Amino acid sequence: MKYRFYPLLAGILSLAILCSATAAESNAAKPVWDHSLVLLDVTRKQYDYFQPWTKRVKTSHKMGLVLSGQEILTTADEMFDRTLVRIQKGGRGRWWTGTVTWIDYHANLALVTAVDEAFWQDLKPAELSDPASGAESFQIIRWREGKLETRKAEFNQFTVGTGHLSFVAHVELEVSAEIQGLGGGEPIIADSHVVGIAEEQAGNKCSIIPSSFIRPILEARKKGSYRGLGYFDFYWQPAENPASLKFLKLPGEPRGVIVIEVPSHPGLEPVLKARDILLSVDGFDIDIQGDYEDPSYGHLSLENLATRGKWAGDDVKFKIWRDGKPLDVTYLLPKADYSSTLVPDAVYDQEPEYLIVGGLVFQPLNDAFLQAWGPDWKRRSPFRLYYFNNQSPTPERPALVLMSQVLPDIYNLGYQDLKYLVVDQVNGQKISRLPELRDALRKPMDGFHQIQFMPSDSLRRLVVAADQQEQATRRVLQLYGITKDFFFATPPPTNTTTAAISP
Amino acid sequence: MRARSIATEAKDHDRPAKSLRNLLVLDHSERSPHFAIVLRTILILLLFSGSCSFASGAEPEKSVIQIICASQQPVWDAPWRFDSVRRAGGSGFVIKGKRIMTNAHVVSWDRQILVKRYQDPRPYVAKVRFIGNDCDLALLEVEDETFFDGLEALNFGELPKVRSTVVTYGYPAGGEQISYTRGVVSRIEMQGYAHIGNRSYLGVQTDAAINPGNSGGPVIQDDNVVGVAFQGISGLENTGFFIPPPVINHFFKDIEDGTYDGFPQAGIRLVALQNPAYRRSLKLAGEDLGARVDSILPIPSTQQVLKEEDVIVKIGPYPLGSDGTILYQGNRLNGAMAFQEAQHGGSIPLKLWRKGEEVDVSLPVYVYQEDRSVGNQYGALPRYYVYAGLVFTTLSLDFMKTFGRNWADAANAELVYELYYRRHEFPNETRSEPIIMAAVLADPVNANLTVRSRTLVDRINGIRITNLEDVIKAFDTVKNDQHVIEYLPNHSFECLDRAEADKANLNILKTYGVPKDRRL
Repeated sequence: MKYRFYPLLAGILSLAILCSATAAESNAAKPVWDHSLVLLDVTRKQYDYFQPWTKRVKTSHKMGLVLSGQEILTTADEMFDRTLVRIQKGGRGRWWTGTVTWIDYHANLALVTAVDEAFWQDLKPAELSDPASGAESFQIIRWREGKLETRKAEFNQFTVGTGHLSFVAHVELEVSAEIQGLGGGEPIIADSHVVGIAEEQAGNKCSIIPSSFIRPILEARKKGSYRGLGYFDFYWQPAENPASLKFLKLPGEPRGVIVIEVPSHPGLEPVLKARDILLSVDGFDIDIQGDYEDPSYGHLSLENLATRGKWAGDDVKFKIWRDGKPLDVTYLLPKADYSSTLVPDAVYDQEPEYLIVGGLVFQPLNDAFLQAWGPDWKRRSPFRLYYFNNQSPTPERPALVLMSQVLPDIYNLGYQDLKYLVVDQVNGQKISRLPELRDALRKPMDGFHQIQFMPSDSLRRLVVAADQQEQATRRVLQLYGITKDFFFATPPPTNTTTAAISP
Repeated sequence: MRARSIATEAKDHDRPAKSLRNLLVLDHSERSPHFAIVLRTILILLLFSGSCSFASGAEPEKSVIQIICASQQPVWDAPWRFDSVRRAGGSGFVIKGKRIMTNAHVVSWDRQILVKRYQDPRPYVAKVRFIGNDCDLALLEVEDETFFDGLEALNFGELPKVRSTVVTYGYPAGGEQISYTRGVVSRIEMQGYAHIGNRSYLGVQTDAAINPGNSGGPVIQDDNVVGVAFQGISGLENTGFFIPPPVINHFFKDIEDGTYDGFPQAGIRLVALQNPAYRRSLKLAGEDLGARVDSILPIPSTQQVLKEEDVIVKIGPYPLGSDGTILYQGNRLNGAMAFQEAQHGGSIPLKLWRKGEEVDVSLPVYVYQEDRSVGNQYGALPRYYVYAGLVFTTLSLDFMKTFGRNWADAANAELVYELYYRRHEFPNETRSEPIIMAAVLADPVNANLTVRSRTLVDRINGIRITNLEDVIKAFDTVKNDQHVIEYLPNHSFECLDRAEADKANLNILKTYGVPKDRRL
């Protein structure tokens, strides 16, 4: 009997312990996150860049993590061009009006608050905790149909990638999870601590913005010392070929990476030169693949050292090898700025700019325009327009304006099929931005507007009558139901820099 | 829309082609959403069938020839090698002088051409006498002239009228015997010629079934040949194209001196001039005549005669409409047609409107070869140079196609830009022969190269690379300890130890079966 009893008892006990542990975990987790996770309902304007004068509305749901100081942390994605933010506690019930108090698209982070003090009752601020490199499993939580959903996620790796909304690289935590629709700021939990928020999902892999990246930014912001993210504004290649290091007269073991291109900026003497070997950054030795040994996360790309607790305007110490000698230099991190590229990566919180001249529609060339070709826009948009991403701005041509389409009218007869032509000059004046184009139209040549396009494999020029322009424009606006012939945003800063991208 | 040329072997027929916008085009049409390269898949049809009544009382099908061609194309990214031998069937027909006319694509890259007579089991060996890859026509000769015994040469007729009936003859896929199909002439206009890929000439569309294997066969009306069947458009029913007499006659005129030169190009971008304000700004009266020279290719003979903003009012005998078309035998055709009537080295009288005055000029025209790399190339084997396992060859459309069917997406954007755009945008920086490092034949001497292959070469040992000869000179003449090879974009570079590279070179060639280190 004893012999039979004990195994049975043991089985019952095990089952009881297991049930009790599961219940305990569930019960322990639920009350905490119920009061720390809120649902955000964001309504924003959505633009059709093929008809930049039209606006649509899009509503999306995101997660927000309650922090101390009556702040709610979420990603910046889907928060641009917003018209209304609402917040819901407990996954159901009343909606409260929210206000975005801070947003950084390059970091893909935003803070939201609710003005109504009553909202904050019963909410418990969560604390951000750095993910440990040894953690193997995580939980992802989110509100789903009024209930708190918890899913298991497995550790894949720490890596360095560009943000979902930016070219700036920073450390990311990659996990695998059998869950769909992540990327809206869902917190990821390890050992009852929030170690990051979800940024993007591809298949079952999910990119997490780790707390170790978020916390220093939020702390610096509180102190007023956050100046935005910086980045390394140069191109480099791995130094895996010993012959190349020999050519550059580097003795000893192969190490470092080779700088191959440093964009020039007027009035600024570049710190680095092509064919410098970058040996160390802020004391971290760089290996021949461009990685350094991060104390927390192991091998990471050197690009992370531009955002590892450093901001735009901070100094970074480089040890380089130049002309057969070592050299210590100080590199000033430039501020990440969408308008620094010839084709800006993004235009947030701004209506699309356009100018209609007798049915000729002019728009700035930016990625937002190219993205009108849909999710596969990098392949489907016109090659020549997309290829401008490979070209750098110059003082003479800091940005591009294109004639995107022609709204047919007798005024523009003969041009009705033209589209996607990049403007070079109007009435003899070089054009980089829409206001310049408008100014040039005030100076017609012999009664005509002469519009010259960039030399390529397409049309070079067209001419329209200056004296009929206003009348034709009014006619076109009326015919096509357009309320205004232009929209110009505030002129962007003239700072021109380019992103550092490893080849 | 996908154009197909029709041949009996399917894998032969996916040829991305650049739209013919580079020389003389009317360019107010919508651009391809992706880029100027319009990927048109071409089916080259080798068709052979003939049924038409003959004024002479002869049976035309007896003059329609079945052609079986074994061909072998070079491998463009391993240019010393050849693809496996392919066997494809097409059609042809006997013309005067004991020759067989067919399509160029039926016999291009030929290793062996066999021709068979109507209901005759015996194959005869033929060879190419003339080939015009731009206009997709070829003339064959048969070694054994008894082949022609009892065969009557077919005669050529005029450009058929739209809506008139034609019959195609040929040996299309789906059977062994000759096939006849009847249809009407649906449309006559300039067509992209898929075989070359970057040229447009007059083409006639018919609803007569033209299928793989029909290529090169005659299209007959009133007992005369009024065309050579050559291509179709995949996905469109009842749509086939044939090469009409004006193009065929140009080919015959061209070879009178014993050499085929090709169709000359004006080298201008001619655009419609229909906007009233633009016409007023040029002081041009009326609204019907005159198209504008928008840009001119860097062809000295053209640049000396024409200027941008010239308005061409008349080309030869043809008044040029404001939409850039001429009236040609009752058909409104792109004005390019008028330029193509001239032969290489000839000239065309033009009536211009320049700065408010009428001017008569004579425009010399020549075959334009500078853009051959953006078309499909035939005959000449790819140039290459192999050093230390690094394979250098010419950037071309043929090379790009080694990326696969979706090469335009798969290839480095820098290669696409270099091939198609730089010459237009930065003519002073254009390299006469952009060179790519096509592959790296693995060996310890090059094992550590990070840049592996399919990359545009900028400089070698400081020498700017504008053609293959520059590559050889750069490696041969510089005696530094390391060779330095720079690539585009972003000036990435790799080094090779010169002594080790020199030592390894021959062994690498031997290991990989490269018979010679260069083909120039």
